[in-house]
Amino acid sequence: MAGYLLEMKGIAKRFNGVPALDGIDLAIRPGECIGLCGENGAGKSTLMKVLSAVYPHGTWEGEIVLDGKPLRARSVRETEDAGIIIIHQELMLVPELSVAENIFLGNEITLPGGRMDYPAMNQKAAEILRGLKLPDVNVVLPVKHYGGGHQQLIEIGKALNKNARLLILDEPSASLTASEIAVLLDIIRDLKSRGVACVYISHKLEEVAAICDTVVVIRDGKHIATTPMEAMSVERIINQMCGREMSQMYPSLPHPVGEVVMEARHITCYDPEQPGRKKVDDVSFQVRRGEILGIAGIVGAGRTELVTAIFGAYPGKHEGEVWLEGRKVDTSEPLKAIRAGFALVPEDRKHHGIVRDLSVGENITLSVLPRFAHASRIDEHEEAGAVSEQISRLALKTATPALAITSLSGGNQQKAVLAKMLLTGPKVLILDEPTRGVDVGAKFEIYKLMLELAAQGIAIIMVSSELAEVLGVSDRVLVMKEGRLNGDFVNQNLNQETVLAAALGQAGAAPSIPHHA
Amino acid sequence: MTTMTFKRIFTQYKILALLVAIALIWAFFSWKTDGGFTSARNLSNLMRQMSVTGILACGMVFVIIAGEIDLSIGSLLGLLGGMAAVLDVTHGLPLPLSVIIVLGAGLLCGFLNGYLTAYAGIPSFIVGLGGMLAYRGVVLGLTGGATVAPVSPGMEQLGQAYLPPLWGSILGIGLFVLTCVLVWRQRASQARHKLPVIPMWRSALRVVVAGAVLAGLISTFNSYEGIPLPVLILLVLLGVFSYIARQTVFGRRIYAVGSNMEATRLSGIDVRKVKLWIFGLMGLMCALAGLINTARLAAGSPSAGVSAELDVIAACFIGGTSMRGGAGTVHGALVGALVMASLDNGMSMLDVDAYWQMIVKGLILTLAVWLDVATRGNTR
Repeated sequence: MAGYLLEMKGIAKRFNGVPALDGIDLAIRPGECIGLCGENGAGKSTLMKVLSAVYPHGTWEGEIVLDGKPLRARSVRETEDAGIIIIHQELMLVPELSVAENIFLGNEITLPGGRMDYPAMNQKAAEILRGLKLPDVNVVLPVKHYGGGHQQLIEIGKALNKNARLLILDEPSASLTASEIAVLLDIIRDLKSRGVACVYISHKLEEVAAICDTVVVIRDGKHIATTPMEAMSVERIINQMCGREMSQMYPSLPHPVGEVVMEARHITCYDPEQPGRKKVDDVSFQVRRGEILGIAGIVGAGRTELVTAIFGAYPGKHEGEVWLEGRKVDTSEPLKAIRAGFALVPEDRKHHGIVRDLSVGENITLSVLPRFAHASRIDEHEEAGAVSEQISRLALKTATPALAITSLSGGNQQKAVLAKMLLTGPKVLILDEPTRGVDVGAKFEIYKLMLELAAQGIAIIMVSSELAEVLGVSDRVLVMKEGRLNGDFVNQNLNQETVLAAALGQAGAAPSIPHHA
Repeated sequence: MTTMTFKRIFTQYKILALLVAIALIWAFFSWKTDGGFTSARNLSNLMRQMSVTGILACGMVFVIIAGEIDLSIGSLLGLLGGMAAVLDVTHGLPLPLSVIIVLGAGLLCGFLNGYLTAYAGIPSFIVGLGGMLAYRGVVLGLTGGATVAPVSPGMEQLGQAYLPPLWGSILGIGLFVLTCVLVWRQRASQARHKLPVIPMWRSALRVVVAGAVLAGLISTFNSYEGIPLPVLILLVLLGVFSYIARQTVFGRRIYAVGSNMEATRLSGIDVRKVKLWIFGLMGLMCALAGLINTARLAAGSPSAGVSAELDVIAACFIGGTSMRGGAGTVHGALVGALVMASLDNGMSMLDVDAYWQMIVKGLILTLAVWLDVATRGNTR
């Protein structure tokens, strides 16, 4: 069939002899948006790295045809020149440079003699951002002034500036709020109408359904199906991804909710950069034994700051009291918080969760290592026993515990971080975005584990940007807005609209009703 | 594909590549000096020269794995060595007392560096730079800029004594038996945990290589007086530091802190305390190296250890310690120190001008790290 912008034929890629991609075909027309779906580790990112020449031509088998001519790019530079732009899952912005400087990074407009033409760049950057409905961004300010959501859109602006013909978006909405996602989807629709093709990779299948024309599902490095979106549904995509029927997204397990176990009183966090500004403003709440407390809110509402302050990991000045089982406890640093009975699975897995140079097993035992030591010598036997126990308890998929943690998929890395924290035997488990960048199958397992832990009497505080998730597993939902509590709901007949309304503005939601199972 | 496999093999057996490099360097010098370089007397001397750099490298490798650096160690060596000489010569203190005082002072200076880095939050590069100047100033003040000599015969023994050949042989046999037991225990433990057991031929090869190296070392030393005491101390430190790195809680934490300090802190580890102790150990090694250096020269020189930090840091990097922290081995650093010492010794024997020696050493360091980076970059 003629008219393809780009075709990938029989792409195969191996890592140390292990096939990661096995004969994948993909064809894109101009102005088409393809949803690339698959569980973590299915090979989506690998395929896109082949396409964008992160893996140069020759390190994989198969053929890429662009405009009817074979494309044999040896570097990302060459694919970018050909109009193929990839926006990676991790943002590639330089925080200290201005917004405009970032947008023009590598493509600077220069005056004779190599001087930067700032007026021209700033003007063009502002134009691009207006097109992205970001008129309030000051292009001369450093990128670090803006939150994750804005940064994601600035990254897209950077891609547009390179005259993208094919835009690859790898999990673009992972750190976006609902309203920012809406903007993002609008931008993609606009790009499509201008003939730009997109490959959209996301675990959020509702977005795929909303924006994509065609859905390509891959599993274990193999092509499963290419189907027009009209003939698909979210359920069918999930079925194709998992290769099994997934009757429900959220498991259920009865877990009795007991007495109040933890109480946070008057937590206030100040912005480390602007000490006058409050990121969290006088927040108090309670959580009960065996209760799953969801904390919702838009990005920047202060949720992460609140939970890190409770755990003693907030980098700036903060005040407030933390009470555990009726006693005031000192949680001024993570070590003390863990000893008191808290555990935190942080939001930023790469920087705050895993220790890259340690193996899977060594990561899991990091917090409780002295437990396996006699006269400070680690008993490998005991350590290995505890590790394999955790691995089977969490259904963590790894060939051996001696494998490098970085070789695992996102979901399994998350399980390793969770295992590390569970070994400390927490009374209160804080999960900050526990399923970010985690595939559907692993998500389900993490929810199931949360319910089991709650049934064992552990109080769970879960911060999440995915409303469906908050409503799917929580017993009670707190909503934060601009550093304050703006809602406290028992999760019975609670709907997304109510929570969203509290997160976005309407104050004074229903007061909390203490409930017992 | 063949280059890929080559690179993989190279990365996996980096230490072997280094040993091959040492063999080449030795062969070259031996050829140029008509075998003088590889005579038992010279090799014994070479190892003794290396011991000071090696002792410091034992401490430094932990500092670098933890993601820090310590530039003050050369001056600290000078200060503590000078202190040993002053205690011994001027005050005539008994040797054990001098040693204890110097070791204590070394530990304290190390803790000071560690405190400033870990608790006061000053970058270790700056702390080291400051210490480099300040400690050297103290030595100059302490000695009045003059060499303090001669040290007592007892202290001299510390740097110049030998372990008698018989004892050396017993030690060698003991170490060989220990190697066999450790290899056997590792295999047994792997089998017990149903982990893939290393192929028998590789275990056998390890035992044979260890045996050959031990036999070679001991027989070389024994054909000239015996094992020098500083080398014996270095071997003991190799064992102790390797044990700390691999088998202890503290060792695991060093790697964790260097690889991802924030994640380690969030895991409930007192990362500042870990760093404090790493610097403390570094100071202790400076004291040991200072004592041996003074004993070897039979005098406390105010310029002892000038630019020693550069040799030591180079040894660590040549030995494969990661520049961003989180990875590295003690034995690698010591092999790196052996490379540096071999170059020094060989070029001195050939009467190579001092400026050429510096150029060659600089090039070797750069080349080694370049090879490391080039083979590491493409393994993902």
